[in-house]
Amino acid sequence: MPSFDIYAFLKQFLYDPENPLLFNNGFFVFFFAVFIGLYYHFRNSYKTRSYIFCFFSLYFFYKASNEFVLLVALSAIVDYYLSNTIYKTQDKTTKKGLLILSIIYNLGLLVYFKYTNFFIATANDAFDAGFNPLNVILPVGISFYTFENISYTVDVYRGHFVPVKKFTDYLLFLSFFPKLVMGPIVRAHDFIPQISQPYKITETDFAKGFYLIVSGLFKKLIISDYLTLNFVNYIFDDPSRYTGLENLFAIYGYAIVIYCDFSGYSDVAIGIARWLGFHIPTNFLSPYQSSNITDFWRRWHISLSSWLKDYLYIPLGGNRKATIGTYFFTALIFASSLLVTTHALNLSVITGLLISFSILLLFILPSVIQRNLSGVSTNLNLMTTMFLGGFWHGASWNFIVWGGLHGIALAVHKIWMLITGKAFKGLNNRRWYKAIMIIITFHFVCYCWIFFKAADFTVASSMIHQITHDFSFSVWDAFYNNYKPVLWMMLLAALLHAIPDNYADRVIERFPKIPMVAYLAIYFAFVLLYGAFKSAEPVMPIYLQF
Amino acid sequence: MNSNRRVLAFVLSSTAVLLLTSFLIEILHFRKSTSLNNINLIADILKKDSATISGDTSGVNSPGIEITKKKHEDFSLYRRAHVITNFSTDTTNPSLARFLQKLHELKSGKKIKVRIAYFGDSMIEGDLLTQTLRKLLQQIFGGSGVGFVPITSQVSQFRQTVTDNYSDGWEDVNFKSGSSKQLFFSGHLFRTNGASVRMTDQTVTDTTANIEKSILCGYGPKQVSITVNDIPFTLKPDKAFNRITLKNDRNKGIKVTVANNQLPVYGISFETASGIIVDNFSFRGITGIEWGSIDSSFLESIEENNPYDLIVFQYGVNLLFRPNDKNFSWYARSMLPVIKKFRNCFQETDFIVVSTADRAFRYGTQYKSAIGIDSLIKVQAALAFETNSCFYNQFETMGGTNSIVDWANRKPSLANKDYVHPNHKGAEILATYFFEAIIKDYQKYVQSLK
Repeated sequence: MPSFDIYAFLKQFLYDPENPLLFNNGFFVFFFAVFIGLYYHFRNSYKTRSYIFCFFSLYFFYKASNEFVLLVALSAIVDYYLSNTIYKTQDKTTKKGLLILSIIYNLGLLVYFKYTNFFIATANDAFDAGFNPLNVILPVGISFYTFENISYTVDVYRGHFVPVKKFTDYLLFLSFFPKLVMGPIVRAHDFIPQISQPYKITETDFAKGFYLIVSGLFKKLIISDYLTLNFVNYIFDDPSRYTGLENLFAIYGYAIVIYCDFSGYSDVAIGIARWLGFHIPTNFLSPYQSSNITDFWRRWHISLSSWLKDYLYIPLGGNRKATIGTYFFTALIFASSLLVTTHALNLSVITGLLISFSILLLFILPSVIQRNLSGVSTNLNLMTTMFLGGFWHGASWNFIVWGGLHGIALAVHKIWMLITGKAFKGLNNRRWYKAIMIIITFHFVCYCWIFFKAADFTVASSMIHQITHDFSFSVWDAFYNNYKPVLWMMLLAALLHAIPDNYADRVIERFPKIPMVAYLAIYFAFVLLYGAFKSAEPVMPIYLQF
Repeated sequence: MNSNRRVLAFVLSSTAVLLLTSFLIEILHFRKSTSLNNINLIADILKKDSATISGDTSGVNSPGIEITKKKHEDFSLYRRAHVITNFSTDTTNPSLARFLQKLHELKSGKKIKVRIAYFGDSMIEGDLLTQTLRKLLQQIFGGSGVGFVPITSQVSQFRQTVTDNYSDGWEDVNFKSGSSKQLFFSGHLFRTNGASVRMTDQTVTDTTANIEKSILCGYGPKQVSITVNDIPFTLKPDKAFNRITLKNDRNKGIKVTVANNQLPVYGISFETASGIIVDNFSFRGITGIEWGSIDSSFLESIEENNPYDLIVFQYGVNLLFRPNDKNFSWYARSMLPVIKKFRNCFQETDFIVVSTADRAFRYGTQYKSAIGIDSLIKVQAALAFETNSCFYNQFETMGGTNSIVDWANRKPSLANKDYVHPNHKGAEILATYFFEAIIKDYQKYVQSLK
């Protein structure tokens, strides 16, 4: 008979690098139960309530990333102070100076923790600089909360927003535990007013929250984890061992994995927030249903695209004008495109120059078609936004190429619309035309995922080589027999994705009040399913060609 | 109506239900069901009874072959890492006496070829492991050239030591496509009526060395017309196995066209007039028993025309294709005659059985070494012991239990996330360890001469 181990019990409360806190940890179940009990009990005392919330958020952060919890607290202090000073200061130059200070502080943190090693490696590679790489660990959530800090300070500077008076409110905005690890990026003007609202949720909120949490966990823990472990990782690790057919399905699989992982986590965050009385806008809207790439970016990681639009694209001049930033970043992109083509892809300098000029040209082309010179700056600003958006995802050339490809595609789509806009007007509403466009868009997005996921360009190019040169239709039967559960899981994911976005809302509306037992039954069924999938016999890779 | 009470009610009752379930799992001893244990919330805070967590070890101790007691030999030496053992209790003596003598002659300036055949599965595909071993041995003992290269291969794009461009029209007969008793050690034979192949050895760095480029082929018509670098050439493949030198110059590349599908072609060998030659013979998915189907007379012809000084068998990973297999005695029974046959046909050759490297499966939520791996290694060691071959424990050398998990999770990683295949970096390490074991043995040999 097992006995209670007090030492192991106490250890549960400390940070464990092997097992950082996420929504699917057993610990989170207890964490949330205790939290909700206290939060509910003190729901009418706003002050106590927000202290409790801050404490639990910081503790979550500690359990997820150890000492880096201090970093988020420090960021909160610095930005709280700076934004209040900006608000009080009348002098425009001082205001601007403080804003710049805040941006330097936040981007400085982000760049130091996320990009130092990348810059060192690039300098060593391109200029033989011979720097030693530093052992910098990326703090959890830093990409998200630095962006939230920046948007807050900028909004205060722009006069869109009166800074919060209570420090705890700001700390809570930054460290709100549901969105801490993987977003969504929330905006202060959406979020902060909700802190001082009474804790009131409707039956719809409860039902929708439940739906978001369970479906999010299903996407993340069942679909995404199963496909990653039993198929996608095998192929992406060593694509040249497998046929083009397997490689193609691995890319489809990864498209599902990244969507289910990312949107699943977002959904859980939004669902939990909803249960606590906070409305966070949707972050994903069935992105693979997009019929063009512009549409895709309206549906994929919406909180990031809208952030980039408001705080990067528009300050750069948006669709109105070119600023110093426009030229600076255009030059930077040109230089990095040259660096990628000559160093990472090992092309000659002339080819590199040719590619870099063609990319530039592509962005200028729409305005040439329209005979509108100011359009040039719009496109250059768009290109910068996409390149930097790609770079935000991670410190490697792969992400820059991924962002670059999407930027190019957005420009191409613009040109396509200019050329065909009038002529194809009738076609755009035809079902078959839309279906073809969805398939094309999906495949382009998949093509870009190769660069996003592959460890380096060698892996990416060998995947593409296998698909184009060694497809082997004939192995389908053997492939299907070996990966049967994986393929059915992919089909299930595709079917779930095809459901219209408002379907869940419509179903929830139809049932005014579902009894608690039903919720518990669904939840428990999910938990059992999760347990079963976690220990399901692994699907092993096989060789289909000799 | 405010539904915030419902949130509280749901969270508290679902937590209570989960806790209750966890207690039931503990009390009713459902812990062995990993599927239920995954949702056990209290598993981590309880002291575990050792009996419930130690795995079933039955079957691990029977290697499936009777281990003969031999004087001055100790079977248990197979457990040693970093050592090539011939099981002799006197570990100051070298294990690979004949092979080391050849190495020593080479080192002393004699112009001879020392040829090594390295058999394996996907672990050495694309010249992984062997490319490093070849480079290291050639650095010390001389020689140049990549050795044998099959006409086509699924991994020819992946293989970095040779570029291989072949035209359409090569018919590939191999273990998987159909049976033939005359497959060479690559497991393939090719036939064509007009297709060509162009290969360039990428390992040769010495531009002044003459590289012999030979075609390896089976028995064929009296005269077969081929072209070498587009110039006509006549082959007389009158033996069961033929090695015919086509060119001997400083050129690292060669193009061959064959217009007679009666001729079984195996591949091209790149080698220097003297020095080390390491041939990579990889065939994915096999365990070694496939070699049982090859004719003894054919093997003898290989021994006569393309003799090897050392033959290495590295299999095993494909026997561990199910996570719970522990009994490999059937493998012992079918592999024993195969090694015996090879030993009979290659009487002058030293043999090493290299154990499987580590491979892991997911047991419950964690990746761990296959539970049958110890039992398999014991079987492999017994195969070496009973055929008077040497044994090299690659599993222990790479770090033993769970080392593949560690290799795959390292940054930068040394193995793929299938927890089977070491990657380029990992294979380099394995090759270096193996090379060092050979050198250790070589030093014993040199010592014994004094």
